Amino acid sequence: MKGIELMESGANNSDIIQGTLSMVRMPGEDISPETAEIAQIVRLVLAGDTTSFEHIITRYERRVMNIAMRILGCHDDAHDAAQEVFLRVFRYLHRLDLEKPIEPWLMRMTVNVCRDLGRKKRQHPSTSLEHTSSEAITNSPADDPYTGLAEEQQRQMLWKALACLSENERVAIVLRDVEGLSTAEVAAILQAPEVTVRSRISRGRLKLKEIVDQLSKGSINGGAL
Amino acid sequence: MTCTFSKELLALHVENDLLETDVRCVAKHLQECAECKGFLDGLSHRQSQLKVLRREAISQSSLTRMRRGVLSQIENSPQTLGWSVRIERVLWLGFRHPAVILSSLAIAVVSATLFAQMRQPRLQDAAAASKGAAVFADNNTLIRPGGYREWISVGSSVGSEIPEPHGVSNAPAGLSHNVYMDRTAYRTFSRTGKFPEGAVLILETSGMAGKQPIALQASVKDGRFDGGWGFFNFTSADGTIKDLAESVAGKNHCRTCHEERAKTDHVFTQFHPALKTAT
Repeated sequence: MKGIELMESGANNSDIIQGTLSMVRMPGEDISPETAEIAQIVRLVLAGDTTSFEHIITRYERRVMNIAMRILGCHDDAHDAAQEVFLRVFRYLHRLDLEKPIEPWLMRMTVNVCRDLGRKKRQHPSTSLEHTSSEAITNSPADDPYTGLAEEQQRQMLWKALACLSENERVAIVLRDVEGLSTAEVAAILQAPEVTVRSRISRGRLKLKEIVDQLSKGSINGGAL
Repeated sequence: MTCTFSKELLALHVENDLLETDVRCVAKHLQECAECKGFLDGLSHRQSQLKVLRREAISQSSLTRMRRGVLSQIENSPQTLGWSVRIERVLWLGFRHPAVILSSLAIAVVSATLFAQMRQPRLQDAAAASKGAAVFADNNTLIRPGGYREWISVGSSVGSEIPEPHGVSNAPAGLSHNVYMDRTAYRTFSRTGKFPEGAVLILETSGMAGKQPIALQASVKDGRFDGGWGFFNFTSADGTIKDLAESVAGKNHCRTCHEERAKTDHVFTQFHPALKTAT
């Protein structure tokens, strides 16, 4: 509940992330009120009350869209991915273990849908995997316009660098460094051993640093990478 | 960079992702190596920049548009759940309840039993068909074939030239003997001139009065018996016809006579016109 209340009250994203992180229950813990509430909604949906499904979408749409946006780097693709995620959730809701939190399951589905979409894009490359900023994305405004411009340049560089990583590295970096999940949580979502996830994170961070360093130099020297 | 210390470990150290076993090693090296310390500071700076991306958020209007899209697809398209998913859902949800599991098990057991019962007569029929007309109650006991009079009548004779025990003690005059052979065996014999495994011949002895036989014997081509043939006498001592007959064991009268005097493989084909012409 904490995470959702924060979202609805307009709290900033860092708070939201911390709030939602508290919902990712590790094995051995008791069922949280959030999980119990979701279980109740899921039972209603499975009983045929499809309108209750809107509650699930409303609770997790921002998280799903943000992750999809960060993995795919394109708002339109993130929109399509989020739709597909919630349609899959609706289709396979019966598979959800009602005694466990829904978030890791939802995150896993989001990552899988993004991977599928990324694969399709590689097969039919109509648009590049490059961050597209639009009115659909809002940034916290900086007080100083020069600072705002620098931040925007910095963001563009980071998006370009993320797009240069391999899919596995990008997903690991997004979940661990941008979303702020622990390596254990990332491993659970990706259903991969922790050692594999650590390796992807480590390689991803080194590559990211190297690429951003080069882009910064190019930017300072007035050249393009 | 000239230092060869693992950059991968430094990349994990920057966000405290190292395993406990590596933490001390990395910390010790960082105290001694200014180059790696500088590299770590650079990494740390990039990591803090990366967190800037957390401030980006999807606008509420975009979220609303996405949500409406999903809900309209769910509500307007009944095919959102395909048949396979519907079946899976019913099974998935059903198997969470012990009552459904028990009911399913009960249905499975009843179905299996019924199937086995339905299959049993077919198996018996198949066994009978493959064995020809010879159906055994056990290894050594033949069941009297019911419809042998509808088989091929391969020969008959009037008189008492056929020796005991085909006849009966104090046999009345005018006995008739009829020999029947099962149709499958007859067809094979007609084609090949050899009696197939499972072939059955029945010798029925009848009197002038009454329709019931007064003696009934059978011979069965069966490799389990000496000489490849088993001989069975359905005639009891009191003259009634039994339903079951054990094979006449040992080097008995039947076998001796059939081995020595029958023309073709223990069968008196020389007396049976249908068998003579068949070959």
